[in-house]
Amino acid sequence: MNKSSQDGLMLEISHAVHRYGTFTALNDVSLVARAGEFLTILGESGSGKTTLLRLISGLEHPYAVEALKLDGVDVTRTPAHQRNCTTVFQHYALFPHMSVVENVEYGLKVRGVAPAERRSRALSALEIVRLANKHDRRIHQLSGGERQRVALARAFVPQPAILLLDEPLGALDEKLRIEMQIELMEIHRQLGMTFVYITHSQEEALTMSDRVILMTKGRIAQVGAPADLFDRPESRFVADFMGMENLLEGRLVEHGGEHVTVALDDTTVRGRLSRQGSAAVGSKVIVGMRAERISMGAEPPPDATLNSVRGTLRSSIYRGKYLDREIETTAGVLKARIWSSSSEFEGSGYAWWRPEDCVVMPA
Amino acid sequence: MTAAAIDTDNRNADPAMRRVHVRDHLRTASRIAVLLGGGALALIYLPLLWLAVMSFARNPLSGIPMPLTTMHYQAILNDVRWVKPLLTSIALSAIVALVCMIAATLVARAAIRMRKPGVMLLVSLAPLFIPGLTMGAALFISLRMLMNLTLGLWSIFLAQFIWAFPFALLMVLIVASRFDTRLLHAAEDLGATPWQRFWDIEVPLLRPGIIGAGIFAFLLSFNELLRSLFVRGQDTTMPIYNWIMAASQQSQVPIIFALTTLVLFVTLPITAASFWYVFVKLDKS
Repeated sequence: MNKSSQDGLMLEISHAVHRYGTFTALNDVSLVARAGEFLTILGESGSGKTTLLRLISGLEHPYAVEALKLDGVDVTRTPAHQRNCTTVFQHYALFPHMSVVENVEYGLKVRGVAPAERRSRALSALEIVRLANKHDRRIHQLSGGERQRVALARAFVPQPAILLLDEPLGALDEKLRIEMQIELMEIHRQLGMTFVYITHSQEEALTMSDRVILMTKGRIAQVGAPADLFDRPESRFVADFMGMENLLEGRLVEHGGEHVTVALDDTTVRGRLSRQGSAAVGSKVIVGMRAERISMGAEPPPDATLNSVRGTLRSSIYRGKYLDREIETTAGVLKARIWSSSSEFEGSGYAWWRPEDCVVMPA
Repeated sequence: MTAAAIDTDNRNADPAMRRVHVRDHLRTASRIAVLLGGGALALIYLPLLWLAVMSFARNPLSGIPMPLTTMHYQAILNDVRWVKPLLTSIALSAIVALVCMIAATLVARAAIRMRKPGVMLLVSLAPLFIPGLTMGAALFISLRMLMNLTLGLWSIFLAQFIWAFPFALLMVLIVASRFDTRLLHAAEDLGATPWQRFWDIEVPLLRPGIIGAGIFAFLLSFNELLRSLFVRGQDTTMPIYNWIMAASQQSQVPIIFALTTLVLFVTLPITAASFWYVFVKLDKS
């Protein structure tokens, strides 16, 4: 353990800016990763997440940064091969002229570890990724999932301060991807290493991470635990990215204890502000609800504390396990996912949802 | 469906019959192909074989091999003037091959890293298309007449290098253009220094091309005559020696027959080995 043990920070980036010509890939990004944390950097392609990863690994040098610390040491001017972090690449980048075990022990070889020791450490790493029996294979003899695991073993064998994973599951089919998610979490737990994981899949981010950093256009949109981002998005972008189907514009009319009141066209609804003090009375806000939290029926709901709006049924799509319905209200179209067929109706009706399931965020 | 099959389709309604027809057509076509190919190969190798046979003839220029004799080979053993040119050629070609391997590797590496390598490659490869006579004369004029330098082995080396380098570069380029530079990033990320990245990753993956380049450069240099003739100064290589002997008044032709036969037995296996290496080994890796 180095200086990091004092504050528990394995990675610290303050105010990183990166440009490609006139394009700003990173616009004043600051973040930290704690020792042993599974930190996910989530974002669409072009959001700056891969650039951020390359700055950490040293394969790219920042245009400007106040501090870039790995394990307590500033590495801003340290070349990539002297940094104590390794990467699992999306394209794996396994060495085709080496066997599986030679690939895995390469990081130890360049560090001058004796042949016998590096071989045994490489073999035990292959044990962890369940590939010990294929240690003498050539890379082209492996399947996609196996290559992925070799790349993983090769990266963690030198015991870096941080393991960077650049969309490592991107090239796998869905079934394998879900299996590997579980396996990655297990390996993370086993190694106790700090993982910085890049992905564009909110599902992967929610499943595996301790903490998620959502990026857009070179900036950080929101940082938090998976549940924070999922349940308490602080902006329209985050809510939309996290798959919140219903986003309506309104105006905040009242702060009242636990809930706030928002005027939606001719009606008012109550919801919870995702971040305290983020919107003042009279300001424009966004109201967000998940489709599966909305109920529908021909009659208004019996409970008066529920938010309820009147509208006409626009479409109803049968999906087997559930029903996707859209109801047109004066405030906008609401999408609902109905799991019971008992609430079926035609023509005009009502949609309602609980104030707890209604997120209010600044517009 | 082949053209022959379409042809028979219209004439023959019975499928079984049709199949027989098609097979017959194909068999005839492939027979013709084998015949033509075999003929072409015979045109190449029979004269060489005839040369080897005639090197055992008492009077090779008569065109009749009989009576057989080994006297020309004995003459070679007695008159050892050819040994020095041979050794010169072997050493010179080895140096040309080595320099070509290094230069071609450096240039090919640079080419795949350049954003627009087109012009650089065109200029590097252009000597392929310059006639040997032109290049030799041009070198002679500039080195001897313009710069007034004393020509010798160094200028033969230069001329042969100019000739062999484009081929060597092509050999390395084939492999280098398929090289995935992301592997170098991965090695760098794992902690490899620039030198380790070069030796551990780049050299092994480019090796088939580099070795192929060396073999080709050696053979091209070993057989080079046109350019060397212009810039030889006082020095003599094996092809120059053969050429002088063949051109001289006193008939040394019988010895040439024997000597070229020997050279053939050296270069043919090297050529075969190089092709095997480049096309079999390279394909496997």
